[in-house]
Amino acid sequence: MIQETPPQNYHHQKPPFYRDAIVVKWLFQLGALALVVFSLWFLASQARDNLAARDISTGFDFLSVDPGINLSEGIDTRPATGGRALWVGMVNTIRLATAGILAATILGLLVGLARLSNNWVVNKLGSVFVETLRNIPLLVQIILYGAILANLGDLSYDSGWDNWVIWSNKGLSIPRVFIADGFYQWAIFMLIGSVAARWAYKSRQRQHDETGRDTYPWIASLGVLGAFAVIGWFIHPIFGWVGGIFGAIGDGISKIPEEVLQAALSIIAVLLAGNWIRNFLRSRRTPGGSAQLTDDDKFRVIFSGVSAGLVIVVVYVVWPGLSSWMINSSSDLFGVLDDKFGNGRSGGPFGADRPEVIKTGMFEKYGPSGLTMSIGFAAVFFGVVFYTAAFIAEIVRGGILAVPKGQIEAANSLGMKRSAALRTVILPQALRVMMPPLGNQYLNLTKNTSLAIAVGFSDLVQVGQTVGNQTGKNLSVFAIWMLFYLACSLTISVVVNFFNVRLRIVER
Amino acid sequence: MSAETAHTTRPDMIVCENVDKWFGDFQALKGVTATIAEQEVVVVLGPSGSGKSTWIRCINRLEAHEKGTIVVDGVELTNDLRNIEKIRSEVGMVFQQFNLFPHITVLDNVTLAPKWVRKMPKAEAENKAKELLEMVGIPEQASKYPGQLSGGQQQRVAIARALAMEPRIMLFDEPTSALDPEMIKEVLDVMRDLALGGMTMMVVTHEMGFAREVADRIFFLESGEIVEEGTPEHFFTNPTEDRTKLFLSQIL
Ligand SMILES: Nc1ncnc2c1ncn2[C@@H]1O[C@H](COP(=O)(O)OP(=O)(O)OP(=O)(O)O)[C@@H](O)[C@H]1O
Ligand SMILES: [Mg+2]
Repeated sequence: MIQETPPQNYHHQKPPFYRDAIVVKWLFQLGALALVVFSLWFLASQARDNLAARDISTGFDFLSVDPGINLSEGIDTRPATGGRALWVGMVNTIRLATAGILAATILGLLVGLARLSNNWVVNKLGSVFVETLRNIPLLVQIILYGAILANLGDLSYDSGWDNWVIWSNKGLSIPRVFIADGFYQWAIFMLIGSVAARWAYKSRQRQHDETGRDTYPWIASLGVLGAFAVIGWFIHPIFGWVGGIFGAIGDGISKIPEEVLQAALSIIAVLLAGNWIRNFLRSRRTPGGSAQLTDDDKFRVIFSGVSAGLVIVVVYVVWPGLSSWMINSSSDLFGVLDDKFGNGRSGGPFGADRPEVIKTGMFEKYGPSGLTMSIGFAAVFFGVVFYTAAFIAEIVRGGILAVPKGQIEAANSLGMKRSAALRTVILPQALRVMMPPLGNQYLNLTKNTSLAIAVGFSDLVQVGQTVGNQTGKNLSVFAIWMLFYLACSLTISVVVNFFNVRLRIVER
Repeated sequence: MSAETAHTTRPDMIVCENVDKWFGDFQALKGVTATIAEQEVVVVLGPSGSGKSTWIRCINRLEAHEKGTIVVDGVELTNDLRNIEKIRSEVGMVFQQFNLFPHITVLDNVTLAPKWVRKMPKAEAENKAKELLEMVGIPEQASKYPGQLSGGQQQRVAIARALAMEPRIMLFDEPTSALDPEMIKEVLDVMRDLALGGMTMMVVTHEMGFAREVADRIFFLESGEIVEEGTPEHFFTNPTEDRTKLFLSQIL
């Protein structure tokens, strides 16, 4: 190949700084940053002055003060502090959103497929579902479902089926499954079982590749896992000795001197950063010679170096107690593991408490009892699930219709069965189209759970409002709300993006 | 070889008798009757909208005909799903728009159907796919994705994908119409090799050079009817029908 020398003289003619791409880029970056900082400072000072003028107090002390409120449901119905109360609300919101996302996805998928069906009745049912539910405002639906559920009969001894499933105007109750004594030893069985299941999957897959026969690797591996689960249920106490190992490790850790851990942490940080930088530079090196680093790349290198330095500063200066805290807490952790895995834990891995009616209109309150989905939870749950499922159904339908007809014809012309074409050609491409709008629906669902306030379900917004009213710290509560929903949204975005990237089609 | 000898010495591969096809009120095929023998290469010509694609798509039942009979390799095309799957796995088809699967690599495109339909072991399917890619002249593209190839390369992958099922018949529906001139030749070369290798082929194309050189027989279709059929020599030098003459005067 002929190497042409670039016309050097052009390179050396430096443009005036306002036309230099690199300078302009940096100026814009810095300008934008300055603008943001200034705006924030301006807003904050305005807010502070106005709040002071109107005598509204801010601050987060209320998080550790008893708010004196009762919550309708949650992990703690009489929270001792404001922080605890908000935490109960967050857990309720997360529960609602997670269950809602799962149910809405499954229902939406079914309805979407129904709308593509050739069967007239199924097809029309799907259309009616979508057209009705997505056109009624969510708030109206939630209030409606709440009203319907509140009209169920009073709770009595013979509501539902024999204390397994009970429905009444107290909500829907099912047995509460809990982790029991033998769980951790059984978990060891499951760990071994999943390794074995993976092995079974791989060997089945290999068999398929070698012979071309259908070997159903998924069914085989699930079978192996199930066998381990059942056998482990009965003989898990044979792992009673595992606790002792954890105990010994914990003892060992507690004997490590503080200085050794400090030094080790620093060395590890430096080694990690150095290794990362080396690999990074290597990956950027062109076959011809030295690396061409962009500004971003330089920033990354500097950032990793600084992080390592930061670790050292933290370990020795900022928080000298860190290493002793780490030693103590990990030896404590192993102590707990010793107890959980140890001998003498011989009960079953799970137990279940059935809902128990002690008198008309009242469940057992102080002893073990079932799991009750309250009217409030159910109203919001069905509201967001139906509403979102209607949109998800349209996304599913659109995604499948977006796969060009030629793809199906190509699969057909190769003699592939409908099911095989669906699995290998249509769904992978439809999923790619469906993923981003699906992520949006998950975000919407999560945010829409805040309408729970309409039926008095103790989600974060409802709890926050109560706490804010009691303590007068409405602004602080507001900040917590925003941060919480932001964190939820970011989590969902990260998960959805992960799949997005994996499904992306390579083009040139 | 001439059409007559091919006809008398070899068994019939495709037999169409009085095939009618409607799209709603519009009749796209009107009493199409033709017999194509094993190893014969026929080219279907005709103006746009004359029903060329419709006919060729009826032969592997991407479209269902309403009247008449179509027998492919001794199996009649009816609503019997088993017959349809059997015929489709023996009839390869190449489309104008390639229709490669964009989400999997070239190699996976070629091995997909052999693995799923023929239950072929993975290694065997891959070896075969590599041979076929070698044959169509792009062995080095196996691990790329279709979107990374040129149009001519994509169409050659499509041919390899169809051949991987070891079809007894290949259908081509304007395989070069979506390609730039310099890529047309590389695809036609592959098709010519296939014809020389004895594949039974039915080709819709506007490439007159290919028709003249490779075809054993030419069908001229207009408004869903076969207007004229004959050897390339007959067709290009002394066509009998006025409509054929008009068509040839427009394109040559
Ligand atoms: N799915 C369909 N629905 C309705 N009409 C159709 C359909 N497919 C084809 N047709 C009509 O049938 C006639 C024949 O179409 P066909 O695609 O077979 O033509 P062609 O000869 O392949 O034309 P071209 O050279 O443009 O590809 C056309 O008039 C077309 O409009
Ligand atoms: Mg056509």
